[in-house]
Amino acid sequence: MQVTIQTFIGGLSLGAIYALVALGFSLVYRTMGLVNFSHGNVVMIGAYLASTFYISSKLPFAVSIVVSMVVTAAIGIIIERVLRPLENKDFDLMLIGTIGFGIVLEALAIMIWGATGQAVPSPVPAAPIILAGIRIRTYDLLVLAVAAAATLLLIFFLQRSKRGTAMQAVAMDHEAATAVGINVGRSNAIAFMLGASLAALAGGLVGPLLYVSPAMGGSLGIKGFAAAILGGFGSIPGAILGGVGIGLLDSYAAGHFQGYSELVTFLVFTVIIMVRPNGIFGERTVNRA
Amino acid sequence: MRYKLGLTVVLAVLAWLLPYQVNSYTIHVVDVTLLLALLAVGLGLAMGVAGQINLAQVAFYGVAAYATAILTTKAGLGFWTAGLIALVVAAGFGLLVGTTALRIQSHYLGIVTLGLALAFTNWVTNAQIGGGAEGITAIPVPTFPGVDLTSEYLYYYLELIVFAIALGFGLFVVHTPLGRRMRAMRDDSLAAGAVGVEVPMLRMTAFLLSAVFGGAAGVLYAGLIRYVAPDSFNIATMFLLLAMVIIGGRQSLIGCVVGAVALAVVRELLVDYPTYAQVAYGSIVVLIVVFFPAGLAGLPGQLRRILHRLGWWRETATAPSLRAFQPYEPGTPTPDPAPALLDIRTLSMNFRGLKALRDVSLAVVGGEIRGIVGPNGSGKTTLFNVVSGLYRPTSGEVFIGGHRSTGARPYAVAQAGVARTFQNLRLFRALTVRDNILVALDRTRIWASWRYAFWQLGVWRYDQRLRADADAVLERFGLADFAGSLPGALPYGTQRRVEMARAMARQPRLLLLDEPAAGLNGEEVRQLGDIVRSIRSSGVTVVIIEHNMSLVMSLCDRITVLSSGAVIADGPPAEVAVAPQVIEAYLGDSAMSADVPDAIPTEVAR
Repeated sequence: MQVTIQTFIGGLSLGAIYALVALGFSLVYRTMGLVNFSHGNVVMIGAYLASTFYISSKLPFAVSIVVSMVVTAAIGIIIERVLRPLENKDFDLMLIGTIGFGIVLEALAIMIWGATGQAVPSPVPAAPIILAGIRIRTYDLLVLAVAAAATLLLIFFLQRSKRGTAMQAVAMDHEAATAVGINVGRSNAIAFMLGASLAALAGGLVGPLLYVSPAMGGSLGIKGFAAAILGGFGSIPGAILGGVGIGLLDSYAAGHFQGYSELVTFLVFTVIIMVRPNGIFGERTVNRA
Repeated sequence: MRYKLGLTVVLAVLAWLLPYQVNSYTIHVVDVTLLLALLAVGLGLAMGVAGQINLAQVAFYGVAAYATAILTTKAGLGFWTAGLIALVVAAGFGLLVGTTALRIQSHYLGIVTLGLALAFTNWVTNAQIGGGAEGITAIPVPTFPGVDLTSEYLYYYLELIVFAIALGFGLFVVHTPLGRRMRAMRDDSLAAGAVGVEVPMLRMTAFLLSAVFGGAAGVLYAGLIRYVAPDSFNIATMFLLLAMVIIGGRQSLIGCVVGAVALAVVRELLVDYPTYAQVAYGSIVVLIVVFFPAGLAGLPGQLRRILHRLGWWRETATAPSLRAFQPYEPGTPTPDPAPALLDIRTLSMNFRGLKALRDVSLAVVGGEIRGIVGPNGSGKTTLFNVVSGLYRPTSGEVFIGGHRSTGARPYAVAQAGVARTFQNLRLFRALTVRDNILVALDRTRIWASWRYAFWQLGVWRYDQRLRADADAVLERFGLADFAGSLPGALPYGTQRRVEMARAMARQPRLLLLDEPAAGLNGEEVRQLGDIVRSIRSSGVTVVIIEHNMSLVMSLCDRITVLSSGAVIADGPPAEVAVAPQVIEAYLGDSAMSADVPDAIPTEVAR
C-alpha cells in the first residue's frame, strides 16, 4: 500500500510535467490547428538552458527557468513565423514542417552541449518528508505547486485578459476573428510563444527528475502529446487530466513492468484512444457532407 | 511515353553498371541507400497515396529484420525460409497497426503509430529473444546457387532486382483501380465512400502494402548487415524516412526514391559531421514544406507555372469547352403501380439535444422524380446523409429496393445502387476528371485485390475496360475536353456537371441530388433540368433537394416539404405549393416563426 501511494505521488509529479507539455501542445493546436511536433525538442532545449544557467552560471533555480522560458519563447516565435504560410492550410505539411524543426533543434543541442547529457542536482533539500510512513520527495511537491500555479495563470490569462479572449475567438473561428479585427497572426505568435515557455518550464522542472540529454525531447514530446490526445486535444482541462493520467500510467508501468514500461504505456494508450477516439474531454465531431 | 521508357532503360543500365565504378565502401553505402529507398516507397504508398500517416514504417522494417535474425539464429531455419516467414510476420504486424486507422486518422493516427513503433523498440531492447541492447549477431549469409552473397557487390544485384520489382509493383498499384481508390480516399474519404470505395478495408490494405515493402527491406537488411540491434530502428531513422518522402514528394513514388537517394547523398557527404548533416536535412524539410509542398517531384510542374507566368511557355491547345449533354436511351418503363424503391419509415436523427429529423416517413416509387424542399436547417441534407449511410439514425428504418439498409456503411449503400452528389462539391481534388469518373466506375471489391499478387494481367485488362467506359461517360456529359484537368481548375458549373457524371458512372438505381442547381446560371439550370429528365427516363429514380422553386415545380412528380425535421406536406407540386402549412413555413407567421430554427450547424459543410 505504501509503495502504491509513493508510486502515485511520483506519478503525479511526472504527470504534472506531462500536463505542462500537453498544455503547450493543446494551446497551439486550439489556436491555430497545428500539431507542433517540435514541442518535445523545445522542452529539451528549455531543460538544457535552465540546467546550464543553474549549474554553470550559478543563477538561482527559479531565475534560470525564467531565463530559459524567455529564450524558448523566442524560438517559438521563429518557428511560427517560418511556418506561417502553411497555417490553416495543409495540416500534414505543417506537422512535417515542425518535425523538421525538431530535428534541427536536436542537432543544435548536440552541437552546443554534446551528446552525453548531464544530471541536475535538486534545488531543494534532498531529504524526503515522511508523512504517516510515506516518503515524499520534497522536489515532487515543488513540481506540483509550480505546475498548478502556471496552469492557473494560463487559465486566468485565457479567460480574463482581452488578448486571451481574442485567442479563444481565433481558436473557434479564425475567419470570423479576422472579420472582427483580431490580428490572427499575432494571436498565433502569442500561442506559440506561450506554448514554448510552458515547454521550457516543463523542461526546467524535469531536469532534476530525469537526466537531461538531447534524446529526452523525443520521449517527453511523445508522452506529452499522448497526454493531450488522451484528455481531448485542444482542451485545457483535458491536457491536465491527460498529463496526470499518462504520468500515473507511466509510473505504475515502471513499477510493475520495469523495462517494458514504455511498451505497456503505449499499448494502453492505443487501446484507450481506439475506444474513445476523441479523448476524455474531446468534442464529438460529426461527419459533414 | 517513349521518352519515359528510354529514361527507364538508361537508368536501369546505369544501375546495372554502377558496381563496376565504385569501391567497397561506396557499394555498402549504395546497398543501404537502396534499402532506405525501398522503405520510402512503402511509406509513400501509405502516406502519399492513401493519406494514412504511418510513423510505424521503421517498426515494419525492424520486425522483419528481427524475425529473420531470430528464426535463423535461434530456430536454425535457412535464410530464405526465415525471410519469407519474416515477411508474413511484418505483414501481420502491419495489419495490426492498420486496425487503429479504422478508428482514428490524421495526427491521432500519427501519434498512435509512433507510439506502437516505440513500443516495438522497447520490446526488443528488453526481451531475451531479441538479444537486448546488444542485438543479435551472426545471422547466416543468404545462400544462392552460384552466387556468393557475402560480396556486397553481388548483394547489390539482389537488392536491385527486389527494388525494381517492388517499385514496378508500387507504380502498377498507383495507376490501376486499387491505387486510384486509395488516392480518392486520401482526397475525400466521405465522397469515396459514397462512390462505393470500401474505406475501412482500403486503409488496412494501405498499411498492409506499406508493411510488405518495409518487411522486404528488413529481410534484406538482415542479410546485408547480418546483425540487428534496436538502435537501427529508432525514431531518428523514422524521421529520416519521413524527410525522404517529403523532400522527394509524397504523392509520387518516383519522388520518394529521388528523395531517399538525395538525402542519402547529403548524409554521406557530411558523414564526418553527423550533427551538421542533421541540421541540414532538418532545414531542408522545413524549406521544402514551406516553399515546395509537392517536393522534388513537384518541381517540373512548378517550374512550368513560373515560365508560364513569365510568358516563356505557351500551351498550344485550343480552349476547352463544355459540350452539350447527350441524352440517355430511354429505359424500360417501370411497371404500374411501381413498388417503392426508397422507403423511409419513422426516421429520427438526434445530434445530442438537437432533433434534426423527427419521425420522417416517405416512400419514393421507382421511376419517380421526388423533390425535397424546406427552409434552411429543416433536415434535408441530414435525411440524405442518413439514407446514404453517413449517419446512423437514432430510430426508424430505411429500405432500398425492399432491402433494409438502416445503418449500413456508405460503401454498402453505394454498392446497393444509390449514388449521390453533395451540396458543397466533393470532387477528388488531386485526381483528374477522368480519374474521378474511373473511381466511380470501378466496382472491384477489396477481396479481389488478390489479383494484384497473382494475376496482374487481369487487373490491367479490367483497367483498360474501365478507361473505355470512362471515355463514354465523359463524352455523354460533354466533359471530354476536361478529361485531363484537375477539378479545381474548372468553372463552378462544370464542376457540378463532373459530380453528376461521377454519380451516374455508378449506374445507380437511385440518384440523390443535393442542391444541384446552387450557384448555376439560368442556362445551366435549364440544362440541369434536361439532364435529370433524361436520367429518369433511362430508368433511374431521382430524389432532389433544391431551393430553386421553378426548377422543382417543373421537374418533380411529387414534392415532400420538410420543416424543423418533420414532413409537413407531401404531394404533387401544384397541391403542395398552395398548402397553408407550407406557406407558413416558408414565409413565416407570428405563431410559426418560433418553430423555425436557425441553420443547423451540422449542415454547414466546411
